Amino acid sequence: MAGDSSWLIYALGGGWGHLTRAVSLAQAAEPHHKVRILTNSPYVAPVWKTMPELDLISLDPKLDFATARDRTIQQIVIADAVCLIVDTFPRGLGGELAPLFKSLRAIRVLVHRDLSPRYVAQGGLRNFVRSAYDLVLIPGEDEATAFASLPLAVVTAPWLVRNPPRNRKPRRRRRILVCASGYANELPWYAAVVSCLRALDSNVDVRCVAPVCPPGCPREYWVAHWPASDLFAAADVVIGGAGYNTIRECVAGQVPLIARPWPRKYDRQWLRAQRAAKTGGVTIVQEPTEAARAAIDQIKRARPPQARTEVRNGAAEAVDIIESVMENRVARVGQ
Amino acid sequence: MNPPGWKCPRRVGFLFPHECERTTPDGCPECEGGRLTDPFVQRTDRYTYTNYDDYSGVGTAGLNRNPNDFTEADGENLVRPRKRFEDDMTAS
Repeated sequence: MAGDSSWLIYALGGGWGHLTRAVSLAQAAEPHHKVRILTNSPYVAPVWKTMPELDLISLDPKLDFATARDRTIQQIVIADAVCLIVDTFPRGLGGELAPLFKSLRAIRVLVHRDLSPRYVAQGGLRNFVRSAYDLVLIPGEDEATAFASLPLAVVTAPWLVRNPPRNRKPRRRRRILVCASGYANELPWYAAVVSCLRALDSNVDVRCVAPVCPPGCPREYWVAHWPASDLFAAADVVIGGAGYNTIRECVAGQVPLIARPWPRKYDRQWLRAQRAAKTGGVTIVQEPTEAARAAIDQIKRARPPQARTEVRNGAAEAVDIIESVMENRVARVGQ
Repeated sequence: MNPPGWKCPRRVGFLFPHECERTTPDGCPECEGGRLTDPFVQRTDRYTYTNYDDYSGVGTAGLNRNPNDFTEADGENLVRPRKRFEDDMTAS
């Protein structure tokens, strides 16, 4: 992969978020750059199936901690990229990037998703980011604040894996899409939502999109599809978690979201959901019955589909910013 | 005898009431072997305690040490709880 325009995106971490954000950026960059994504997401297979053209290096998520760290370092060294883009974790998810940085020639870009303030303080991350990175990209104005005041931080519009279609087709039956993302142990919650929806209103068209059929969910309701946001445009309301992509894609597609924030080690889904709820379109719930009732209420209040306003995909903007930082570096070296 | 997996449902702790979770009340200094339903119900001064900085009368933890007392090892956690990071390659 080594070459003058090769980029490597470090997208390690559980769930869908890190990988999906990396794919958004890779798609925007690929016409002009060779982009490789390093991931250990358990959901890499559906991504590969949909976008076989992506250069994905997939580490087994079941690797033990030390082996996962070693393989990660190995892959970064092999890639020898001119630009290393690190999603969310400045020092690496296992702290493995910090000692590696001294020997890397690459321009370093941090994608700043929300990060636990306790970790930021405990790890002295502000100083680390200031000294170790050339650029900090914040994908969404209110996404993260820990490094937002650093001079190297730039805010873009949220990154989307697909641009939402402008027009929505009217449907005879109202549809509720249950988007069962997150960790495997959270899937039964979504199955319980499907059961509640069926009990509350049998006329509503319910679909549950998930990588595997959630335990307890009747198979006729299950859809396996990635990216789930392809299905948002055909839904009157989405019930999902409060991770980066679910919130950003629903807001961009102007589809009401009933959000169930889940606890994460580093991400504060509650905070993201609360911020999104303030601007409208997002309702926060906790229990499956609460989610089902909120979705049915939403459908009753819903107006006929209208044309959406134009949405800016921040991934393209991010590519421009990275390119300009790289050009500046080349110009400085040339002087 | 209590059934397997039994945990004491009482609340214990003077400053910070919490679930007891002992697996038997036998020999328990809080409920005196199961005789008291709510061992701390009489501690009505819990929320009007004002002399936080008065350490007179506090001796070293010793023979009569209450298992619910804080120790030196709890100090750091009380001031700034430490959470472990960078130890899970599948976190998010």
